[in-house]
This record gives sequence, C-alpha cells and structure tokens, in this order.
Amino acid sequence: MRVATDIGGTFTDLVCLEFDKKTGKPIGVKVGKSDTTPSNFEEGILNTIEKAAINLKEIEFFAHGTTVVINALTERKGAKTALITTKGFRDVLEIARCNRPDLFNFNFVKQAPFVPRFLRFEVEERMSYKGEVLKNLNTSTLKSIIKTCEEEKVEAIAICLLHAYINPEHEIALVKEIANLNTGIEVISSYEVTREWREYERTSSTVLSAYVLPIAKKYLNNLQKKLKTRGLKEAPYIMQSNGGITTLNDVKGNPITMVESGPASGVFGAIALGKVLDKKDLIVLDIGGTTAKCALVENGQVKITTNYKIEHSRTEAGYPIQTPVIEIVEIGNGGGSIAWVDKGGKMHVGPKSAGAMPGPAAYGRGGKNLTTTDANIITGRIHPDYFLGGAVKPDLKSIEKASFSLCKELNGSKEDIAKGVLRIANANMINALKLISVNKGHDPRDFTMMVIGGGGAMHGADLARELQVKELIVPQNAGVFSAFGMLMSDIRRDYIRTSVITLSEASSKVLVTNFDDMKNEALTNFKVDNYKKEQVTFTYYGDLRYMGQEHYVKVKLEAITGVHFIKDIITQFHREHKRQFTFELDAPVELVNYHLVAEVEVDKPDFPKTKNSGKKIADAIFDVREVDYDDLGKHQTSFYHRHLLEPNMTFKGPAIIAENATTTVVTPNHKVYVDEYGNLILTSIN
Amino acid sequence: MEKFTLEIIQDALVAAGDEMFQTLQRTSMSPIIYESLDYAVGITDAKGELLAQGNGVTAFLAALDSVVRDTLKKYEGDNTLKQGDVIIANTPYAGGGTHLSDVSVIYPVFYQNELVAFTVNKAHWTELGGTFPGSVSTVSTEIYQEGLHFPFIKIKSEGVLNTAIIDIIRANVRLPDSTLGDLFAGIAAAEVGANRVCAIIEKYGLNTFKTATVDFLEYGERMCIEALKEIPNGTYEGTAEIEDNGFGEGPFPIKAKITVTDTEFIADFNGSHPQVKGATNLSYSGLVTGCRSLFKAITTPRMDANGGAFRPMTVLCEPGTIVSAETPSAVSVYYEVLITAIDLVWKILAPMIPDKLPAGHLRSVCATFISGMHPDTNQFYIQAEPLAGGWGASATHDGNRGQLSCGSGESYNIPIEIREMRYGIEVEQYAFHNEGGGYGEYQGGNGQYVDYKIISDGAFVTGAFLGEKTKTWGMNGGHDGSNNYFMIIRKDGSQERHSLGTNIELEKGDVVRCVTATGGGYGNPKNRPKDQVQLDVKNGYITKNEAKKFYNV
Repeated sequence: MRVATDIGGTFTDLVCLEFDKKTGKPIGVKVGKSDTTPSNFEEGILNTIEKAAINLKEIEFFAHGTTVVINALTERKGAKTALITTKGFRDVLEIARCNRPDLFNFNFVKQAPFVPRFLRFEVEERMSYKGEVLKNLNTSTLKSIIKTCEEEKVEAIAICLLHAYINPEHEIALVKEIANLNTGIEVISSYEVTREWREYERTSSTVLSAYVLPIAKKYLNNLQKKLKTRGLKEAPYIMQSNGGITTLNDVKGNPITMVESGPASGVFGAIALGKVLDKKDLIVLDIGGTTAKCALVENGQVKITTNYKIEHSRTEAGYPIQTPVIEIVEIGNGGGSIAWVDKGGKMHVGPKSAGAMPGPAAYGRGGKNLTTTDANIITGRIHPDYFLGGAVKPDLKSIEKASFSLCKELNGSKEDIAKGVLRIANANMINALKLISVNKGHDPRDFTMMVIGGGGAMHGADLARELQVKELIVPQNAGVFSAFGMLMSDIRRDYIRTSVITLSEASSKVLVTNFDDMKNEALTNFKVDNYKKEQVTFTYYGDLRYMGQEHYVKVKLEAITGVHFIKDIITQFHREHKRQFTFELDAPVELVNYHLVAEVEVDKPDFPKTKNSGKKIADAIFDVREVDYDDLGKHQTSFYHRHLLEPNMTFKGPAIIAENATTTVVTPNHKVYVDEYGNLILTSIN
Repeated sequence: MEKFTLEIIQDALVAAGDEMFQTLQRTSMSPIIYESLDYAVGITDAKGELLAQGNGVTAFLAALDSVVRDTLKKYEGDNTLKQGDVIIANTPYAGGGTHLSDVSVIYPVFYQNELVAFTVNKAHWTELGGTFPGSVSTVSTEIYQEGLHFPFIKIKSEGVLNTAIIDIIRANVRLPDSTLGDLFAGIAAAEVGANRVCAIIEKYGLNTFKTATVDFLEYGERMCIEALKEIPNGTYEGTAEIEDNGFGEGPFPIKAKITVTDTEFIADFNGSHPQVKGATNLSYSGLVTGCRSLFKAITTPRMDANGGAFRPMTVLCEPGTIVSAETPSAVSVYYEVLITAIDLVWKILAPMIPDKLPAGHLRSVCATFISGMHPDTNQFYIQAEPLAGGWGASATHDGNRGQLSCGSGESYNIPIEIREMRYGIEVEQYAFHNEGGGYGEYQGGNGQYVDYKIISDGAFVTGAFLGEKTKTWGMNGGHDGSNNYFMIIRKDGSQERHSLGTNIELEKGDVVRCVTATGGGYGNPKNRPKDQVQLDVKNGYITKNEAKKFYNV
C-alpha cells in the first residue's frame, strides 16, 4: 500500500493506492479528506488515516506534504530569530532592495524585517568576490553575542556572511564555534540554504529558514514518532517545493525547501498523468477558493526557479527565498473572489475573496458579496444537488441580495452581471495563463490543458476555447490531485551555485570540474540516507545570458561531454533567448549559475484504471435544465453523475458533469470522451 | 454586455504593458535599466493618447504620450510613418524629454495598413558619450557636452535597420555593446507590445478596440475627478531652492502656486529663477512629467495610468526658467530639479492631505557615477546608481528606512556581491547612520552610509546630492531630518565634503562615503510612547543622548 497525505489550507487530503499482491498492479484508490487542524497539524493526518481505515503497518511508502512552513511564515508564528553577519552589513536585511512597488503611493509602508536590528550582530571578517580571505574571521565577540541571544530568548540563529556563496569557510567556522559553546539555540548558515549570489536574497532566505527551523523540526519529529508508534515501518518522505520528495533527515536540515510543496505536487501529479497519457506538453491550472495557480510543462519538465518571494504582490516587495520552487504564476482569482465596482464604474473580480467564512453568498452564511461561485450558480452551471458536495442547497435569496447593488450600479440584470463576472474572472485567468505561455514564446495551441482543484473544471472549457487549446483534461480525483502527485514524485535535490564564466572551448574544463564538485557533494548527501551512487541520476542546467546582461535564461544542458558540447549549449541559448525575447545577439555568452538536479527514482505505481461494467450513458443523466453559456447562448443541458460515467463513453456538449469535489462544464462547442482511467477529455467539436 | 468586453480589452492592454516591461528589464545591458528600472513602457492610441503604461520609476509619466505626439508632428503629410518604421528620440526640450540619457523607442503599430496604436518605451542608457563617463556632468554648460542627440530619427525604415546610425553610436560612446544592447532591448520590447496589440484587435475587432480606448480614457478622467473632490479646494503657494548649480552659485528659487478645484488642478511655476549655467535645469516637458507623478500620487495611485486621468491637470510656466529650460541649456542633472519641484508641491499640499503625503524624504536621487579600470579584468567600468535613504514619517507610521527617492519606484539597489565582481570596488559598510533629526511622534526613517573603497588607481567619481545644506522637512510639529552629501576620505585621512562634483579623481585606497538624509518627523516628539523610544535606542535608530534631549526619555 502506498499513501500520500497533503495538508492544505482548509482540508487535509489523503490518497491511498492498494495493489494486487501477485501482479503488483494497482487495484483501487482510496481517497480521504478531513479538516486541517492548524494548532496541531499531525493530528489532522492521523485523523484522515483513521477515517480511511488504513493500517499503517501495511504501508510500504508514505509521502507527506505540509503547509507547516508557509503557515509559520505568513502567520508570524516562527521562532525568535537572530542574525550574524559581516561587520558593516547588519542592515542589509532591513535595507532590502530599496524598492517601492506601490509606485505612486508616497505613504507606502515598507514590510518589516523578520529580525529586529538589536538581534542583528556583526563579526569581523571579509571575503572578496573571488572567495579570497581579505580579513580573517575574528570570533572573539561570539561569546557575548550568544549570551545576548540567550538573554533575549532567541530560538534560532541565521548566519550569512558576504560572498559565502563562493567560499563558506568563515560560515563553517562560525557554526563550529557556536556548537562549542553548547547553546540550545538552533543554528543555520547561508551555505546550507543557498549558494547563489545576492547578499540580501541570501540573508533573507537564511533568516526565514532559521525562523521556521525549530517549529518544522518539532513537527517532523512528532509526526515521525506518532506514525512509528502506530506501526509505520519506513520513515515518511517529505514533499518539497521543487516537485520532488526527500528524506526526513534532509528536510530537517533546511526546512524552507517545503515552503511551496502543495502546489508543486499538484503540478507533478499532472506531469505524471501526462506521461501515462503521452501528453508531455501541458498547461496546468489549479483553481481553488482564493487563487488560481498555473504552470507550464514542456516535454514533461516544469521550470524550477529560485526567484521566489512570499508576500509579494503588485504593491508589496515581499520576502525573497532563494530555494528551488517550481515556476508557478498565482493570481487572486478563485471561486470565492468578490465582484465589486470602483468609483469610475468599472467592475473587478478579486483579489479579495469571501474565503470559507462567510464564503460566497450562496453558502447562506452571511456572505453579502457576489462571488465567482455565485455567478456560476446564476448561470445554472452548478447543480443545486451537487452544491458543496450536496451538503446544502445554494441560498438563492442571498445571491439575489448580493447582486442587487451591482445590478443597480451597472444597470443590468442579475444574469448580465453574472456573465460579466465570469468573463472578467476568465479574462484574469487568461492573462495569467498567457504569462506562462505566450509571454514566454510558447503557443498554447501546442499544449494540452489539465485542470485541477475545485474550480478548474468549471472554467477550463471557456479558457481552453479562448486560448485555442485543442484538448482539455479533467483528471479523475482532480480534487485531491496534490496528494496524488506525491505518489508519483521521485526523490529530488537541486544544487545551484553561482560562479560566472564566459562560455568558450577553453572554459569547458572549468564547467565540467564545477559540475563534478557538485555531483560529489550530492553523492555524499545521498550516502547519508543510504542511497548508492548507481541509483542517482543527474540532469544539468545552466543559467545563461549575454555578457553585459543581468538576467538569465535557464537552459537544460543536454550533455557536458563530447567535442562540441559548449558550442551546442551556446546555440541552444541563442535559440531560447530569441524565443523568449524576439532577438539574439552576436555577443559572448556567460554562464552565471550551475544547476544540478540529482534524482533517485522511486518505484512508482501505475495509474489505476476504471472498470467498465457496461452502463449506458443515459443512466448517468440525472437532470435536464437550462444553462447559460454566455456568447454560446442558453441551452437545455443534460446533467451527468461523474461516478456513473465509464471508459469509452463519448457525448457532445452542452453538458454538465457533476461530482462531489467539482463540476465540469462542457460548452456546446465541446465534446467529451471518458478514457480508461476515468479522466474526462474535452475536445473542440470543430 | 458590451461593457465587460471593453474592460477586458483594457486589462489586456495593461497586461501587454507588463509584458513589454519585463522584456526590457530582462534583456537590457545597463544596470540602470535592469536594477534601477529607470524606464517606462506604454501603449498609446494612434494620436498619442496614453492607454497603458508600465513604470519602473515614477518619472516619465508624461514622457510616452508626448513623445508619440511629437513624433506625429515630425512625420506627417508625405513623410508619414510606414509599417516597420521605428523612431528613436531623446530631445530634452520636447516630447516628454528629460535628459539625453533617456532614450525613447517609438513603434507605430499597423493593423491591415492602418496606423492603430503606438508602443513606446523610454529608458536610461548608461552611456551616450559626451564629456564625462555616464553622460552626466554637474559642470556642463551646453547640451552639446552631454552626449549624442537623436532628434526623432528612424532607426528602422520599413523594417530595415539604419546601420549608419548604429556605426555612429558605436563610434561615439564609451560602452558601445551596452548602449546598443539597450537599443535592441527597447526595440524588442516595443515589438512584443505591438504583437499583443494586434492580437487584441484581431480578437475583438478594430471598432470595438477603438471604442474600448475611448471608454478607458473617460474612465480614467472620472476616477481622477472623484479623487480630486477629496482634496480641499483653494490656492496654495510655496518656494523651494536649488542650492547650487555646480559652479558654487546659488541658491536659485523655484516658485509654485497650486490651485485645486473639484474638477481642476493647476500648478503654476511662473516666477521661478531663469535657467542657469550648469546642468541643474529641467525642461518644461520634464516638469510636466514630475507634476503628473505627484498628481497621480494624490489622486489615482493604484489605477493603471492612462491619459484620461491627467486631463484635469495643467502645468503653467513661462519658457526659459530653471524648470522650463530651453535649448541649448545643459540638463543632465535634471532629475535633482525635478525632485525638488515634486517635493515643493508635496510640501505645499501635505498638511491638507496627511493621509496621502508624509513629511519630507531624502529629496535627491543621490546618484553617483564611479568610473575606472577593473583591477582584475582591466576593463573600463561605470558604476551608476541611485541611493536609498530615509523617508518622512506620516500621521500613521514611522518613516521608511532604506528606500529610494520619490523619483524611483520599483527600482533596486545593486547587490554588493554583484557590484564587487563587476566594478572592482569594495564596499566597506552599508548601514543606517545616526546623523540625527526626524524626531516626532512618528520618527523619520534613518538615512544611510555607503562606503566605496577604490581598489585601482585612476578612478573618478561624479555625484549630485542636493540637500547638502537644506534638511528634509518635518511636519505638524515633527523635526526636520538631516542632509545628503558625499565625502571623499583620502588614504591619508583627509576629508572633502561635496554636494555636486564631477569627475573627481580617486586613488587606490580612497573611500567615497555616500550619505543620504534621514527623513522628517511627524507630530510632537513628546507624544511618542516611552517604550517605543526605548526600543529605538535598543535598536540604535537613535542614540541615548537623542532620546534624552528630544524625547525626554
């Protein structure tokens, strides 16, 4: 049995795959959901396991994703943290990058640093940009620093020295000295978190990792203990933001790698399913209650970036975390997004959300604002029996009330407003989808779209039509897809180092040597967890740019051996640059960052197939009602139970397919095919 | 409803603006573009009405529509623009011009042979030739000393690059690869935008597109007038000074009279000092750009910029003053005058709208240009950048620390780790200082020290730090802040303090200390809670003595 659990903001999801002992083929999927228990996350997991009646002793693989890190950060519930840095630079953390994203707001308030100035300490030492010691490390003040930390009840110390990304010698020495002082305070150093340049980003990353270190360690230790007492044999694997899992030991050393694990695993689930269906170029869209997230997958690969920030928006600078995170664009548009009219008479949808409490007007919990979900109800796209999994009937009176002021301000009927809300919400999502596709030089027509999350299937068909995507997939179990993704992930570690070289035949040796060093480090790390050299596979990436540029383009290096490999890399960079930015230059090419991906393949199950019991399509229809498809008109529409659909069934839109976790809208321009795994494949009729 | 379609088109134009913005940032070769984001991108209609603008800095708000309009003036009749033409312009005295370093790329967008829009960007290129590295000088007296001048010329004619101009640029600038890299980045960004505009028209039809643009401009005007109603009507006056023109002369007064009604905002600068010898002059089109940014700050700060939102504003000034300079006056330090003009209107209006405008901030870009030979690579370098300092406190919060001036925005400092590799300069400290000031119920943000140690002989520094004599202003009982200046600390320990300085020679081992001001305070210091003052002392934002003397703690 293989189990994955994913703690989300609202629910803790569980997916369990059972196998036939003889054939090794999967025989069934169990899905579980229970409320997330923020004060005590591990209880939520144990509840879910209990609810699903799973015997921990029978589990041979257990993967886990958690929001414990992102929660500690956004709710400021992490540890009291101090910082030790190079003399003259303790204010780097607070000065940050000096920007004011809310450009014309002269009354802007800058976000406060995670470490107050009185807990930012300096030591004498200095490296040059080449990694040479300019000033030796002087640790004579360390004792008094630690003493102050103890007096101030500091729980974690971050160390970040200038240029440590190229030579961490002084940081290593500091960590050692602090260990000798036998303090109970947790310590983490920048070289353990990031080896890319930019002192503010490195400091911020290290500070945030320190900030969550005690809480994450405690959580992981508790979880491990509780699972073990209940019979789990092997330690659980932990999902990271880079789309791979890793061992418990590894993540305890630098817990910040878990910061975006939820969205990452959703995308990886999509990739895994794509591989099975032989769809390697995907646009993945995950629409939840408050936000929509999208990612682009090219040839089965999603880009990894370290240019990640929390609490970043068009008006806030945010806090950078230089940790490998899959490239996702997130916008404030989900089922709960509120429609409102500004002083100039223009309607907007989001980014404010009605959340789960009070929720959309239709919930009948006092929500006074019209939301995207309400608009979907007004147009008839959600069946009343399937609203909120059939738990309650939509509160139509409350919807009426919520739409009243909008109708008045915009001088339109409730139905007009609802269509407007959906158009604007869809346009917002289209702009986000273009950010990851068209804007990066990709033609959406070459991609398959996969929609997950509660709202993905509601909007997917309209979005696919607009982007001219030929095929839309609504996977089976789209509602718990993040947990599903974890069962399909390999063990993955990303090693990224800044070391700038100009690419030429002469520099090929340096390039190979640097990658070799990184490979050795990776192998050493894997050895700690008892993985053998033969099990580890490597993939190489380079962050490349034209000399004189600052920003770079990530390029997969197909080979780093052979006669012409440098030439091939350069050619590939020119091509990528042209695709993304419309031009190429006759200028030398620099490699800025080495990026090595080290993976250990995990034995992964096949996707479970759905059985065909010979039901008829007509049996799945449970109602016929009028649905408004906006510019495609109003149509009498058949409503289908999804759980009664079987492989190879095919029918034309208009149709609505209802299940507990979501609803799939099939426009009059689409037809549906149910594949052998129970996925819905929507294609355009023309 | 048609209405929603129009809104979607407008949002799509804004999204196209964002995309152009990113393209320019990610492909440019000048740190002033990719870190300071000293550029703007935009889309106008076929007549030059601003439809969407993406800004890295607050300036340039009048730059994009004006430059299109003046392009149309030059290319009319038989000489009309054709598909594939691309224009470049950097004239300071027309078309939203500022100084020669800011170059506009203007890209006419054709749809089925009809001119339907323009995509345009304006960016600060690090090098355009002229007397001194970085094309900025505090001692130039004529525009001819400040670099190459492109008076609305075609860099591309019907898609064909004018290689003669490329050769001229290459032969006249100090960092030709970087300068040309910026040119191509500008063209690429405009082209990306043009493709998006065509796609929008393709999808919704040309007529709907045109309706959407008209609707959008009217919407902008409505939003602006709604906001204007919240500012008390009246006429308000004030005076500011440019302390020095780089030749030890000054101060030179700038006068402003602001009239606010429910539907109009008039900024009248008549009576300001005549244009001066030296580069501390601002052209009228630069003045309009500055006024627009303050106007936007107090009316529609969060709305996507469009031309309609500026219709209620008028800027008056006779030609030939320090804020309406004419050819051939030098203007390369225009930005200091621009910020002084913004700060003047700000100070005049702040007491009426303390929820929108805090007390005085550092009020200078504190731009430094350090040039020399990199000790490891022997390559010529120019390090050009704006510096962060303290902002004023407001009625609701302490002043920000470590923030660039109001002229900047989504601009970034240059990381030390990158700077030391690229320029062969060593940074000795990057820290808040305790030069005092800014006391109040809310405390002004601390200014900072940046110390650059020069590690190769034959380097030079140019800097313009206005505010060397005038402190940042406090408000409603808050104290004034401190000063901006830069100091050369020679190897032998001797010190020279500067406000404006051009190409000052530096030797290996000399230190350039840049000092930015602490912002003004807000409200009576006596009302600041005691525990807050104690925490400030603990954090070292103020000293024990200051706590005692100004807060009685």
